[in-house]
Amino acid sequence: MTRAILSAACAMLAVAGCSNRPAAPDLRIEGAWARATAPGQASGAAYLTIDNQGDGDDRLATVATPRAATATIHDSSSRGGVMRMRMLGDLPIPAGKQVVLAPGGTHIMIAPLAAPLKAGETFELTLRFDHAGDRRVPVTVVALGAR
Amino acid sequence: MKRLRLMLWLLVAVMAGGALWLFARPRPSAAPAETSFVSIGGVFTLTDSDGKTFASGRLAGTPYVLFFGFTNCPDVCPTTLARLIRLRRQLGAGDGAFEILFVTVDPERDRPADLKRYLSLYAAPIVGLTGSPADIARVKKTFGIYSAKVPQPGGGYSVDHSAAVLLFGRDGGFGGTIAPDEGDAPALGKLKRLTA
Repeated sequence: MTRAILSAACAMLAVAGCSNRPAAPDLRIEGAWARATAPGQASGAAYLTIDNQGDGDDRLATVATPRAATATIHDSSSRGGVMRMRMLGDLPIPAGKQVVLAPGGTHIMIAPLAAPLKAGETFELTLRFDHAGDRRVPVTVVALGAR
Repeated sequence: MKRLRLMLWLLVAVMAGGALWLFARPRPSAAPAETSFVSIGGVFTLTDSDGKTFASGRLAGTPYVLFFGFTNCPDVCPTTLARLIRLRRQLGAGDGAFEILFVTVDPERDRPADLKRYLSLYAAPIVGLTGSPADIARVKKTFGIYSAKVPQPGGGYSVDHSAAVLLFGRDGGFGGTIAPDEGDAPALGKLKRLTA
């Protein structure tokens, strides 16, 4: 009897498992922008929002851009009245969550810039995710003081 | 033998007493809280973005705000300067309502010409100030500013620095600070009082 119930439960679990597709992230990347930089200025910062509408977690592993040798995920934070900027190795993008990269917080630092980012132009970032793969994102450059 | 035993017991007693004293002795109480007023600000002489001497006496009669940063700061510094320009516009009294002074904490890299190129990108006047490392160290002390270079992975360095904007009135008196996480409404209120 116990055995029968157990095998029935197992069968149900198996069916449930089969009918569900594996959890997967579903990423929308929106509103990418950066501030203009001055000639000679070594680094710029890009901001964007990653909206994971799927039911699986993802992770932003690396970022690349033709405008600089490196594009790295950084975080600015204020502690005890002191502003610090530190590199984050990567960025978790949890299922159902929106991850916002915004001024004064997490951002993508682009350095060393081969040429200044000019207001009005657009450049490309390639975001590499563990599951969603490579996503190319156009970044709009805005004048300093515009945002 | 009996004597040795006695001496050992005596030793144990002495050690126990010592340990007890170490544990229970009165500790010096914490220093009383500093009650004197901290003076923030004072006269200074630096170099502006044209390479000319800038003496703080020039600011007499003008309210001003002071922000310490560096041009290779990609996130926080432009965010703060852009915000100050926006708040000054919201005051509705023009760019002359108060001066925005940007003092570099990275004088080795930020020479006058670097400041000029950087600040010319903002669509509103900002006074950029640099100097010798000793000049900057002195002015940081005058305004109670902390900064420290932090090596970046992959080379180069960033600079941790005090994040607050310091406010000074027409008479040069310290008028408080604006913190980066402070809302625009209270910040605007402070600037209104400063420029009233």
